[in-house]
Amino acid sequence: MTLGSLTHRYTLGEVSPLAKQAPMAAMFVIAITLGALESGLVVHELYSFVVSGFLAAAATVLAAIFSTRPSLWHFALIVPSVDFIALGFLRYGTGGPGSAFAAYVILPVIWFAMEDGRQNALYAMIGTAIALFLPLIVGENLLHDPSEWLRAIISPVTFGLAAAIVNEVSRQARYRLDSMRQLAAEREEMLDETRDHTRALAASEAHLRELEGLMRNVWEAATEQIVVGTDLTGLIDVWNRGATRILGAHIDPLAEARYIEEFHLTTELDERAEALDFPLWETVANPRFAALIDRARQGDPDAGEWTYVRADGSTFPVHLSVTPRMDDSGVPVGYLFIGRDLTREREVNRLKDEFIGLISHELRTPLSSILGYLELMRDDDETELSSNQLQYLSVAERNANRLLRLVGDLLFTAQVDSGKFRVDKSEVDMSAIIRASIETSRPVAANAGVTVEGDGIPEKIVLAGDSVRLGQALDNLISNAVKFTPRGGTVTVGISTDAGNACISVSDTGIGIPADELDKLFGRFFRATTATKNAVPGVGLGLVITRAIVHAHGGEMAVRSEEGVGTTFEMTLPLAVGALVE
Amino acid sequence: MNEPESSLRIVIADDDPDIRALVSIATKRAGLELVDALGDGESAWAAIREAKPDIVLLDVAMPGMTGIDVTRLIKADETLDRTRILLLSAAVSERDQAIGYEAGADEYLIKPFSPRGLSERLSQFARQDEASV
Repeated sequence: MTLGSLTHRYTLGEVSPLAKQAPMAAMFVIAITLGALESGLVVHELYSFVVSGFLAAAATVLAAIFSTRPSLWHFALIVPSVDFIALGFLRYGTGGPGSAFAAYVILPVIWFAMEDGRQNALYAMIGTAIALFLPLIVGENLLHDPSEWLRAIISPVTFGLAAAIVNEVSRQARYRLDSMRQLAAEREEMLDETRDHTRALAASEAHLRELEGLMRNVWEAATEQIVVGTDLTGLIDVWNRGATRILGAHIDPLAEARYIEEFHLTTELDERAEALDFPLWETVANPRFAALIDRARQGDPDAGEWTYVRADGSTFPVHLSVTPRMDDSGVPVGYLFIGRDLTREREVNRLKDEFIGLISHELRTPLSSILGYLELMRDDDETELSSNQLQYLSVAERNANRLLRLVGDLLFTAQVDSGKFRVDKSEVDMSAIIRASIETSRPVAANAGVTVEGDGIPEKIVLAGDSVRLGQALDNLISNAVKFTPRGGTVTVGISTDAGNACISVSDTGIGIPADELDKLFGRFFRATTATKNAVPGVGLGLVITRAIVHAHGGEMAVRSEEGVGTTFEMTLPLAVGALVE
Repeated sequence: MNEPESSLRIVIADDDPDIRALVSIATKRAGLELVDALGDGESAWAAIREAKPDIVLLDVAMPGMTGIDVTRLIKADETLDRTRILLLSAAVSERDQAIGYEAGADEYLIKPFSPRGLSERLSQFARQDEASV
């Protein structure tokens, strides 16, 4: 049983009018029964006695009606009011001041007294007075004795005071009950909230357990990576299975104090620390660790190559990412080191280099023979070749050269992939490179019936670059544009400069590239469907090489195209400091 | 048409017989005296030590002793200090070329090469030699 239901059950003022009237009705039944049995002894005035019975009955019926309609309960005080009148007649009919039923007046007095509101004590007193003075009202003076008068005055006052006391006690009880009710409601509300919180907490706990399980699985699965956490001084507080396996050392951070730099090549850390040349005002207690976390401590995730030392003293290269660790309020508490063993990767790269070298040698050597002997045939003074034979030689030479370019392109892309491609930068005149590329392309373009022209090329634009590579990139773009432009079309080469950049554009009036293929254009061996459909020769390496050259210069490439209208490639290159545009 | 006979003597070495023959033709067209054309580094080094040629043309990637090895031996031999060394290689990277020059090569020629161009380069050597006499 809850407190709420208890207070509801014992609520004052919520007893039905019929239940309150029941004692009065019962007492009247007794009075009437006694009147019927001992008429001469009880009934002094029959008319008043009968009227009182009717009035009491009417009051009881009224109470019954009110009881069925709680909305009318605030009018229920009519019932005890009628009771007072009924009691006035009963008292008068049963002997006036000597009536055996005078004490019945206490019942409506209590009813009034129990109701909310101090005025009800006054009403109880008035009701008592009506009951006592009714004989005066009906015309017969029964108050012939002064003591009767005194009783008629003192009794209502006494009953009124009793009603006031009961009213106050009821009021206080009601107040306490309201407080209890409010407390109960608040407690219910708190219980509901607690239940909600408990449910949410249970759900969070389940989610947390799930995440913890996932983290544990990931943690256990990371056996190919070294994952080490340290505090701000480099003291290891996290050590995973991968670290144990790869470094050959098991560390229990709770049991032993070990530092991350123990697993680094000391000379390498010293070199980096020296290169960083920490400012004098910066107190660096441990320069080796400071060199290791130099970028990460500034809040930037750092990734680089380092040399790790295994427990047995052997060394191996590692790709290491260093990130700062923060607590819940964002304050740095340490660092996380995630390392990947590069030994196998380096070995693969070495084998790849060997393979490329071998392929390069094995392809270029027979090509040397083919091209060399073709040239000897052409230069042979003793045997003059027919025009047909000379044409056949040209075809063979052209194709051998094509094969040679392919080998060169493959070698180039392999260099880019292995990160060995470097450009030799110096101040170069981009305008001169553009003019040279246009001139170089003209014989082939003329043969294909395509016009190549420069559009407003300034006299001189200086930028920092590798003239050979930039020429190669531009040759690729112009050669592509010519190949993809039908006879009668035009290829336009332009250059513009803005804040610190030069933008070189090559536009054609060619067959264009489908929009959904533009983002694949710079992929190795990719050929646009328009290229394969129109049988445009190529293997799909030219743009890869061009972009690699542009990127090596710190630039960017862009392309715009519309099928059947044309294509524009743009190379944006940073200008040299103090660029000169004339 | 062959160049007039020069007094310059040359030893060539390449493990590929076709390339060896091609270089031999270019040498003859330049008017140089071909002392020997060999297929490996060891026999080339033996011929060079014996003949003390003015020019040697060596393929870099030969089995056994490479062109780079022979170059180093030549540079280490004081009796061969006037011998000019031309390396011929299919390895085109700057790093490979740097290794050749560091070993002591005077020129690093890349395959494929033009026989005509090689003849002209050798002829230049011959003219420089005559001018210096």
